[in-house]
Amino acid sequence: MSDAFDLKDPLKRRYRRFGTALACLVYAFMLVPSLIVIPVSFGTQHEVRFPPREFSFELYQIFFSSAAWTGPLLQSLKVACLTTILALATAVPAAYGIVRHDFPGKKAITLLLMSPLVIPAIVMALGLYLYFSYIRLTGSTLALVLGHTIYVTPFVIVMVAAGVQKLDPNLEFGATLMGAGRYRMFATVVLPQLAPSIMAGGLFAFLISFDEVVISWFLVSATTTTLPVKMYSSIQWEISPVIAAVSTMLTVLSLVVCMLTAALQRSGRGQ
Amino acid sequence: MTGVENSRAAAAFVSPAALVSLAIAAVPLLFILYTSLGGAALSLEAFENLLTSTLFRRSLYTTLEISVSASLISLVLGYVVALHLARQPPRRRAVYMVLVLLPFWTSILVKSYAFTVILGREGVINLVLSWVFGTQVALPMILNRFGVMVGMTNYLTPFIVFPVLASLLAIDPALYRAADIMSARPMRIFFTITLPLSLPGIVAGVSSVMVMSLGFFVIPALLGGRQDVMLANLVDFYTRETLDWNMAAAIGVLLLAMVVLLSAPALWMRRNQLAGKA
Repeated sequence: MSDAFDLKDPLKRRYRRFGTALACLVYAFMLVPSLIVIPVSFGTQHEVRFPPREFSFELYQIFFSSAAWTGPLLQSLKVACLTTILALATAVPAAYGIVRHDFPGKKAITLLLMSPLVIPAIVMALGLYLYFSYIRLTGSTLALVLGHTIYVTPFVIVMVAAGVQKLDPNLEFGATLMGAGRYRMFATVVLPQLAPSIMAGGLFAFLISFDEVVISWFLVSATTTTLPVKMYSSIQWEISPVIAAVSTMLTVLSLVVCMLTAALQRSGRGQ
Repeated sequence: MTGVENSRAAAAFVSPAALVSLAIAAVPLLFILYTSLGGAALSLEAFENLLTSTLFRRSLYTTLEISVSASLISLVLGYVVALHLARQPPRRRAVYMVLVLLPFWTSILVKSYAFTVILGREGVINLVLSWVFGTQVALPMILNRFGVMVGMTNYLTPFIVFPVLASLLAIDPALYRAADIMSARPMRIFFTITLPLSLPGIVAGVSSVMVMSLGFFVIPALLGGRQDVMLANLVDFYTRETLDWNMAAAIGVLLLAMVVLLSAPALWMRRNQLAGKA
């Protein structure tokens, strides 16, 4: 649609300018919530205000010096790391198997693996809550990790499957002809080539788990509270200004992940 | 490779993920179904109770009302952005894309908090209005329907942009050139080429956004008031406040059924597209 030749028509130019102006408004609407927390986070604890009257790191100091915040932060880091490892370990081979092989029940299994994309988080949360209560796992870190793993798996599969589709199957075929077993071929030929997609999938998995609130809200106990759950109850009950500092750090994390995956996808394309 | 050999290789790669999904995704869903039927009693009592409960009916209506209107508003907003992105040369498009991706990746809690700062009683907008009019202005913009709608459309808009942009980019530029040669006016071009040909993206975007909004939990809880209780909040209420797991599970089953029905058009559309390509 990027055709410059038709811009001589003044009517078209006017429409186009109008469209651009509208688009800018929507960009602003989308971006403002992510950005406004940054200036607020450098205010003081006595008032939540934009723009803040004086500049300080007070809110960050409070965050890092109170166990009520650092405990959930560490718990979230732990859950997100374990989730990423478990999700990569299962989803990367699955993505490869789905793209490269035909097998009975492939559609059903793919549907099962991708279903968390469609099933509302609240329904999964309820199911996990009922199930884990039954097997007495609710409230444990393991419950959180398992729940998050299911939730992030489809995202990892989509990322990695896209990477597998770009690989040249002849390399895998060649390795098999030379006598490499299935696993050796996978480990020495497929995995190294997939590194950018695996990294990108891992980053997604980490960020999604780190930000996840609904499933966690149902599964945490007082000792396993994650950062988003702490934030959720804090916004609901007191609106502590420290949330601005947490939000800023979360936004920076999103930005970093967003940039890194963009860079990884570019490097993947360059190969 | 023989067929058997092939299946065996596939099983080795796929089975770990499949087993985890069976144990942690499929079994919990069966648990919901089982609980909604009152356990071993296998009665429809919970569903009957739901249908006669005013709380449930009001919240079902609220959910549908909010979901439909939020989806339509985000469709308009997302379409405007997708049109703008589609017009950009690839390099500049990648830059503008960041403006969509950053909000896409921003935590829903950050957004909810940000809107309490922007729309709150002493929030940015009220502050500006008070300053402009020289009196204390305190428009109620959160803990009501307005707050929920702003929060939801903000969250959903990026999810419209991606599918609509994909179908806009798939339109053959020759069509635009032809329309231009025939000196069609911009509005006519939009309604006879752009809009109909981006329909697959619209359907995919709207149905995924609808599916998401039916299950919204955080935004109505943090930005809505008593009148804006959605089904997901009701599930939370029954599970954790009244400990009525049968009711919670019955709502879960209904939510799941609605979501499956709603995602059918998108799946159907995709299959048709694939059939068209083959």
